[in-house]
Amino acid sequence: MDTIIKAYNGLIQYMRVASGILVFLVFVLIVVDVFVRLIGLKPWSYSVMIVEYALLWFAMLAAPYLVRVKGHVFIDALTTLIPAGPRLVIEKIAYTICIVSSLIFTWYSGSVLITAIADGTLDVRAEDIPLWVLILPLPFTFALVSIEFVRYLIGLDTMYSDSVAKREGV
Amino acid sequence: MEWYWAFAFLLGMIITMMAIGVPVAFAFLTTNIIGWMYFTGWDPGSILQVVDNSTILITRFTLGPVPMFILMGSIFFHTGLAIRVFDGLDVLFGRLPGRLCFLTVAGGSIFSTLTGSSMANTAMLGSMMVPEMQRRGYNKRMSMGPILGTGGLAMIIPPSALGVLLASIASIDVGRLLIAGLIPGFTLAALYAGMIAIQLWINPEGAPAYDVEPSTAKQKIKVVCTNILPMSFVIFMVVGFIIFGWSTPTEAAAIGVLAVMLLAVSFRVLTRAAVITSVDGTIRVAAMVFFILMNSTVFSQLLAYSGASQGMIEWATGFDVHRLMVLLVMFFVLLLLGMFMDATSMMLITVPIFFPLAQQLGFDLVWFGLFVLMTIEMAGTTPPFGLLLYVMIGVAPKGTTLFQVASAAFPFLVCDTILILILVMWPGLALWLPSFM
Repeated sequence: MDTIIKAYNGLIQYMRVASGILVFLVFVLIVVDVFVRLIGLKPWSYSVMIVEYALLWFAMLAAPYLVRVKGHVFIDALTTLIPAGPRLVIEKIAYTICIVSSLIFTWYSGSVLITAIADGTLDVRAEDIPLWVLILPLPFTFALVSIEFVRYLIGLDTMYSDSVAKREGV
Repeated sequence: MEWYWAFAFLLGMIITMMAIGVPVAFAFLTTNIIGWMYFTGWDPGSILQVVDNSTILITRFTLGPVPMFILMGSIFFHTGLAIRVFDGLDVLFGRLPGRLCFLTVAGGSIFSTLTGSSMANTAMLGSMMVPEMQRRGYNKRMSMGPILGTGGLAMIIPPSALGVLLASIASIDVGRLLIAGLIPGFTLAALYAGMIAIQLWINPEGAPAYDVEPSTAKQKIKVVCTNILPMSFVIFMVVGFIIFGWSTPTEAAAIGVLAVMLLAVSFRVLTRAAVITSVDGTIRVAAMVFFILMNSTVFSQLLAYSGASQGMIEWATGFDVHRLMVLLVMFFVLLLLGMFMDATSMMLITVPIFFPLAQQLGFDLVWFGLFVLMTIEMAGTTPPFGLLLYVMIGVAPKGTTLFQVASAAFPFLVCDTILILILVMWPGLALWLPSFM
């Protein structure tokens, strides 16, 4: 069990690193594109499309890590006014909502992914790319996100403990 | 279903979930799933549409500046370049009464052009200036007020990450909205400085003068050249590249990152650790924003599909009232939402309703975008739940109450209101610069 947990935690961290690399890649691609154009050359036709894809991929890769570090914005102004007992019940309801909606999204995005692979659907942009490349991170990310919320639901941690400034990463 | 029931059903679902602490992105996601199923006759296939639309909407090149501006600000902070600006201004201000308050406004305005995040701006100014102000005997009103006011400037002065987001959601020109904030942003900074002067005139003891080591003209020139002027390189790279047409506003954000990195290299402060910390900070904020955006844009489509948006617009424009009255109502709705919501969430909820309405009423959408940003900035310092107030409590000395923070912010809210009135009377203040684009 320990090995599975270790591997799972490692996966979340590797996804976080990959997300960071993608953000840096977006920066490099845009800068190169601008300067290539400024010196009068023709920019690489794939760069805009890669940036567009990277915007989805970086957000998806970082999503489970964000849940882990309580990085998603929520409003606790009203729940903090409620006594501890009922607040715990409300917290559990909130986690359950997140788990159910994530699992539904996992199921349906998985279904879109399978159809896209089976039909060979193309995503038509500056260059045509198989649609599954775009959809691929969705089912995996949302499955991991639901696991992260299960951690809160079973009481391994609570999402509602840090200050606003800490949650906002400042 | 009548539009008002659809409206109440969808908005009620979102607000209820937010109220019980469901993260904003998941409140939108759940509402989208339930809403699309309901309005398509419980057809599970409609969720496939939700999946499709979610991916399409956030893979737009125009959203590129959001992570880029956040990265730019992060590098600026983590390399210590921000501190250099403050050190420079500190020497320049000499023995000016209330010098630390003016230093906050001047430094904060420069930060705003280099960061784009109000939250980061307030936290940075608060943690840096409040301890020093307390040590110098400034009262809480004088130490926290200017920080709260100036912290919010980052929303208006370009480049503003929230401005890019607003322009993307409302489908208005990103570059024009960013540039539109330049003159009003610096006008607001001047109003803040005027407000500090008035406060000092009324109560000079609020910010007592203290001895500082005198600096010669030569020292001052040196500090301007080494600590302040180099920062204009970043501003030129971002704003200049847009104005000269060398890059699109979307690309200018990445150019800004390059400029800050080059600056950090020239000061020998660009370390591997600083870059890693900055990128990590960026994915935390930007991924959160994208996750919300992915779900909230589908929500906008749902509002339109259910007929709620159109019904709301027809209803609101059906009254025989002046359009400024409608603007006033929108102003108060945003302030009200800001009492319990963060800037991104309130923007995402109101944009699909307010922007079509503003267009119908004949407002220039770039001007209206700036109006929304200004109001959201005010809402961030509106008690009881304005987020900037809580950021300030987090960095203020122990025992600081919400009342103290809110009353310190109040005079600066008056300045914000004055600027909004100026913008209503002279829209050209905002629209003059964009007219050159």
